Formats: sequence, C-alpha cells, structure tokens
Amino acid sequence: MSLSRDLIQRFQQIVGDEGVLYNPEELLVYECDGYVVEKKVPDVVLFPTCQQHVVDIVKTCNEFDVPFLPRGAGTSLAGGTLPVGGGVMITLTRMKQILEVNMRDRYAVVEPGLVNVHLTQHLAGSGYHYAPDPSSQGACTIGGNVATNSGGPHTLKYGVTVNHVLGVEAVLPDGSVVQLGGPVEGSPGYDLTGLFVGSEGTFGIATRVYVRITRDPVAYRTMLGVFETVHDATQAISNIVGAGIVPAALEMMDQGIVEALEAAFHFGFPLDAGAVLLIEVDGLEVAVNEEAQRIVNLCEQSGAREVRKANTAEERQLLWKCRKQAFGAIGRLSPSYCTQDGVVPRTKLPEILEFISESGKRHDIRIVNVFHAGDGNIHPILLFDERDKEQIERVLKSSDEILAKCLELGGSVTGEHGIGVEKIDFMSKLFEPDDLAVMADVRKAFNPMGRCSPQKMLPTAGACGMEHIEKDHPGRRAAM
Amino acid sequence: MTATDSQDEFTPATVAELSRFMRENSTDGRRSIVPVGGRTALNYGHSTPEDSLRVSTAQLQRVIDYPARDMTITVEAGIRMDELAKTLKAENQRLPVDVAQSQRATLGGVIATNTSGPRRFGHGTMRDYVIGISGVDASGRHFKAGGRVVKNVAGYDLCKLMVGSLGTLAIITQVTLKLRPTVASSALVWMIFPKYASIDEVLESLLASQTRPISVEVLDPKAADHVSSDARCQLPNQSPVLIIGFEGSDSETQWQIETLEQECAEFKPAATHVLNRKDADSVWKSLTEYATWSDDPLTFQANLRPSKAIEFIERATKLGVAVQAHAGNGTVVGHLSDEASTLESCQSILDELRQIARASQGNLVVLRCDDDWKAALPVFGEPEDAWPLMQRVKAELDPNGILSPGKIWKGHQ
Repeated sequence: MSLSRDLIQRFQQIVGDEGVLYNPEELLVYECDGYVVEKKVPDVVLFPTCQQHVVDIVKTCNEFDVPFLPRGAGTSLAGGTLPVGGGVMITLTRMKQILEVNMRDRYAVVEPGLVNVHLTQHLAGSGYHYAPDPSSQGACTIGGNVATNSGGPHTLKYGVTVNHVLGVEAVLPDGSVVQLGGPVEGSPGYDLTGLFVGSEGTFGIATRVYVRITRDPVAYRTMLGVFETVHDATQAISNIVGAGIVPAALEMMDQGIVEALEAAFHFGFPLDAGAVLLIEVDGLEVAVNEEAQRIVNLCEQSGAREVRKANTAEERQLLWKCRKQAFGAIGRLSPSYCTQDGVVPRTKLPEILEFISESGKRHDIRIVNVFHAGDGNIHPILLFDERDKEQIERVLKSSDEILAKCLELGGSVTGEHGIGVEKIDFMSKLFEPDDLAVMADVRKAFNPMGRCSPQKMLPTAGACGMEHIEKDHPGRRAAM
Repeated sequence: MTATDSQDEFTPATVAELSRFMRENSTDGRRSIVPVGGRTALNYGHSTPEDSLRVSTAQLQRVIDYPARDMTITVEAGIRMDELAKTLKAENQRLPVDVAQSQRATLGGVIATNTSGPRRFGHGTMRDYVIGISGVDASGRHFKAGGRVVKNVAGYDLCKLMVGSLGTLAIITQVTLKLRPTVASSALVWMIFPKYASIDEVLESLLASQTRPISVEVLDPKAADHVSSDARCQLPNQSPVLIIGFEGSDSETQWQIETLEQECAEFKPAATHVLNRKDADSVWKSLTEYATWSDDPLTFQANLRPSKAIEFIERATKLGVAVQAHAGNGTVVGHLSDEASTLESCQSILDELRQIARASQGNLVVLRCDDDWKAALPVFGEPEDAWPLMQRVKAELDPNGILSPGKIWKGHQ
C-alpha cells in the first residue's frame, strides 16, 4: 500500500510537517517493536500532540479507507505495534503530559505517551506511587501498558495494569471520543475500562488514562536466596506460595543469567549457584521481619545454600537494577536471543523448568531463565546466532514446544507480553471457535470496520487482504 | 427439564443442557431469559418482561478444581458463597469480597451484580479476583475467557465484561478465582465524632497515616444504630461514626490500632471503641448486610469522589436518608425513610443527591424499590458517555434481546 500525496497533505494539515514521517529511511525505525522476527514498514508515521489530532487522523483514515494503529515506545515483545499490511502508524509519544494528580481521591490522569516511570518519579516524596512496574518502565508508555495490560515484578502483590486503571478516554475506530470509567469508581453499566485494557490497540486509541495511585510501603525486606539447583529454587517458590505467603515480588534467575549479570554489574552474585531467587516483602515495619523470616525458613527447608539480605537501600536498588536490566546483559552471552512469556500454575514451575532444560538439550540451544516466578510467568531466553539459519529453526521448534507444554500444564502462552502477531497461531489452541467468535463479536462493537490494528489478537482478524509475513527467524528482543 | 421446572423456570443439570436449551430458544420462540442464582438481588435494575423464563444455576455448583497450593479455584457459578468460603477456609484461603446474604447468594450472582462491601478499600472488587470465566450466551454459545493461571493476557478479558453485566450478556456457568490467604486477626476501630467536619479531617489525614486500613466506613447515627443493634454490640451512635478496619497478623493489627488512636487523637473523637474477634466479626457482618437491610421504600447506591463523601452524607441525612459510606472508595448506600412515602418525594430526594454525585463525576443507582416506581425513576442514574457503546456490545452478543431485556436500559433490548 502506498498513500496518496493528497492523504499525506491532509495529515500534514492536521499535525504539521514536523508531525509526519514518510521518507523510507525515516520509517525504517518503525518497522518493528521489541519483537523483531516480523517486520513491516508503515506507510506513514504521525505524531499527534492532542486528542483532536487523533480524532482528525482517525476520521481521515476512515475517509480514505486505510488501516491505522497506535504505537507507544515500541517496547512490545509480541509485535503488538507491527503495522501488518502497512497503513498509518499513530505514535503517541508526544502526548506525555501528567494532566492531574489528585492525592485526596488517589488518582492521576495522564496522556498515553507518558513514560511509566515518569509518573512514579513525579509522585516521589508524596507517599504514593504508580504500582505496575514492567522491567521496561524507563521507556515504555502508560498507553502501551494499557494496550497490553502490562505486568512487572511487583504485580505479584499489587496486581497488573488493569487493577490500577480507573478509566480511559479513547478515540474509537470511527473517530468518536468516549470516556470509559473515570476518576470515580463504579460507574453504572459494563466495565468497558477493564475490557479495553489488554485489547492490544484493537478497540481504539487511548488519549487519556485515569490511574489509581498506591501508598508506598513503609518497609521492605529484600532477600537473595541461593540454591544449588533450579529444581530446589522452584520448589522453594512452590512452598512459599503454597504456605499462603504473597511476597511483593518473587523472581528467579538461573546460573546462566547470573553469570551475565555479574559480569555486567559486579554485584557479588554467587557464580556457582544453580539459581537465585530475588524475594521482596513489603508492608508495615512491624510485619515485614516476621514474613521475611518465614520465607527464609521455607527457603532453607527447600535446600537453599544461604539466604542473603539486602542491608541498605542502595543494595536493594542495585539488586532490582540487576533484575530489570537482565535482558540487557544477555548481549554478553550470545549475539541474538528470544524469549517466551508462558505461564503455568505456580506448583508446576519445577516441571516446566525441567522441560525447558530438556528442550534446550534436545535442540542443542542454550537457554537461560530470568522470570516472575511468584506468578508462574516464565521467560526462558533462547540464545542463538541469527546468522545460522539451521540454529534458528531449532530455536523456533524449542519455543513452540515450551509454549505447548505451558498449555498442557494448564497455563497460558502469554502472561504479560500479549498476543500481538507473535502468538496469534496459539489462540486457536488456547480457545475454542465459540470463544473466539464471542471475542470477535465484542471487537465488532468497538471496531466494526476492522481498520484499527488489523490482524491482531484474533486469528480470524483483519480487513484489507493482508499479505502473509513469513516468520523465518527469531530475533533479538528488548527487555521484558 | 428437571422436576423443579415449571413454565416459568428452567434448571439445567449440565452446561451442555443449558447450551442446547439456549440454542433452541434463540431460533424457536425467543422467549426472554432471566438468569437467577440465589435470588438475593432480583430486584436490582429495571424489571424484565413478565413472561420471562428464569434460568436457574442451582444445579451448577460443583467445585471443578481446587489446586490450593496455586491459590486458585475453579467452580461452577451456582455455588453458594458460604459454601465457597467453607471450602476455601479449610485451606486457610479466602475470597476477600464482602457479600450480603452469603448463605443464599451464588458466585455467579455476585459477579453479575458486582457485589462488594467494606473490604473493597483494601482488597478491591470481583474484577480483581475473576481470572477465568465461562458462560452461555443468548444463542447457546458456550464460551470461555481468561484461564486458570493468575497472570494471563491471552485474548480479550471477558471476565471484566461479565462482572456487573446483570445477566444481560450471558449466563455465567463457571469461574476461576484468584485467592488470598486468610488472616490471623481483624479488628475495627469504632469512633464517634460530634461533627461530620471532624470525620472529613480524619479521612484527609488517613492519606498519610502510618497504618494501612482495609476498610474506611462512615455511618450516620441512624445507620450506626442499626449496625450496632444488628451486631448485638452496645456501641455509641448518637453522632456520626467512623469505622476503620484492619487485618493482618496479631501484632500488625494491634500496632495499627494503637497507631491510629494516636494519629486520631488531635481530631478529638467523642468516644473510641476497639472491636476484636467475635465483636469485630459481628460488626463486619452487619456492615456487609447493611445494603440489603431495609423495610424502607427505596435503597440507592451513589458513587462519587471520596473527597465529596462527607458533603453527600450530610445532605442525605438532612433529607432523612440513613447512610453507610465506604468512604475510602466514595461509595454511599442510602435507605430512604418511611417519610418519603410517595414517588414524588423520593424523586425529589434522589434528584438532589444525584446532582451532588454528578458534580463529582459520579452517579446514583437505585438498588431496590417498588417495580411501579422504577418505571418512573432513572434507575441507573443519568446517562453515561459510554452507554451507547455498551448497548452496541449488548447488541453484538445478544442481537435478539433475549437475555434480561431492558434490565439496564429501559426499552432497549
């Protein structure tokens, strides 16, 4: 598809020359997001700076019958912002204002392009923060978080994005503006806010997000459990959750990832350990010691070699920095990598980790693990060299095998990265035709023409006769 | 059909039977269907056509899978809330959502009506716990969404769509819940203040409190008198009451009570009573049941900004309304008094209160009143911006308007 000069001019009238990219070399940046396996250059990239721009753009797209889709910072790991079939990409990073912070009513109103961590930084010192903390929070946008219902380490205790979004003002695919929910809880009617969150850009474009702000915990205890084997570590996770403890965060890193992190950050991680658990409890000062001690005991009973404690705020911060930048350190291990985002019931972690290790051996692929263990949300990282075609095939086989195993164990193929285009083939394995038909009906209410984010989420999706993009190689991906 | 069935009611024994029935009904006869669970909230919403057929989930009440160590449970939607709580308690787990008439109420009904109570301040509402859902829609499609794991973003989150859908989109058949551990202790601090203004100051100060309340309730003297006598606790209630709830380990709860008392001293409560164990349990229960207690003509629920709760309560009490507020959330339940005996007097009270709620971007919903009055009242408040879109969702899933037609939007399917 190539857009007419007339259409480009219309866009220039809406957002100005500085808000339109259409030269092929400028568009190249937008050919993919954090999922680089499939690539497609949009025909034009637009940078609206206000809601009215978005409305005018969407109406113009409808007038000219061209597909369009929203994009935040492009950190999606599943191709959620891939412009399948081309068309208009609406990038919201210039709409990044914090419009209101209301402490008394515990909410904030932000534009979709606001970087996640900027809200928490803005709130620093107020005693409140924005709870969802994806590892990419230094780059990803709140609008993008809404689209994918992002998680993060601390969502174990505090819940994922949808648990913190009170309302959304959105431009619907026909260009009309609607407010779903708002600063006040419990508006009468269906919870379309909850439905909109996680709809991966297929229901419209959020132009304003009402989020709940959360009290800061009074006290933290951050621990590092050191285990001889991955099996012992996963057993400890299972025992902690099984004992009815919900830590603020519970993350696992295996030997391979620890090695890379140690080389990058010199934290003092034990290089001979099979796996470490990063465990944090938070709450009242009077409560955290007791809870931390119960966790230490459970780790020891599960065979931990030792459980170290972060003694200072700096040590805690460094531990979290290591965890959140784990994917960045992988460059030390291999030229390319890809990760999967499966979920299993938490008691099945020992089983899936064993399977991952076997799958790696079977296909002769090195796999390292760093993941949200407390949620059962795995992130096996498959290492490879993308110049080796035959190796790539083995990586894809192993990836599919791991996700299929997650389903077999009663889990899901994605905990937080989304379906996007990457996992669209798995939808018909997860869901029956009736499930998908009902979902398609719901989408029709929002997006009857299918022009907004076509070919996403549902396998039967789409308009406009899109070409099939051949999936031939897994690629290097950004941080989770 | 089973032995309990009549011309007006159908109780499927299995989901397959329900699905078949709905499929046939959608092509043949197209009778309106009203799903029923424990029948504790049938009065909620506009009345449905008189010749509607009730479809009961009474025989769908099995526990499908309870992997307690994963802290999730999958059950059929007809399970009674008390039965569910008992099952969970055996594993030291719970669903921390307060439900009135829990011996009768079913999980499916609680989800359909989005029921909650005082603990919503600390624990949220059903939308935060339903991680998987199955239902049968008007055309008999048996569909599911979500799954059985606590974190999952595959597919549209129809769980959220079903919460609060009032039986208008599907008959909920099966649910997977995320669970929480039980707590060692809970306590309530019951404080009375001479003036509402003092309570407003306390509410403001709570935002910076060292404690982490699970509930923040405000009662007017009438509601306080009812709660106190219903709980069989002799509690002071001659002036406005603020009740703060805590949960946790024994030491956590105790520390929070003491800290709160210190923090509140400057606002000079006229009296402070700490309720522990049995007394706390009784008052929690009475606070939960309050919304369904009443011989009075009309009960409403308003939602507004928490910062406007006190202004609303003061105005409501002047109009003779007995009020309970989940003040931390800005949710206010009110029972109109017997004095508001005519439709006109009710209308004028509700109009005034609705305007206060609207001024803070909230609304006011009539929970219960005589069917004749409903026809004349805006039961779900003033129209919301998103209603046309909601009606499109309804029309896509139930194009023939079979499921609870007119329940939310009078005259609309």
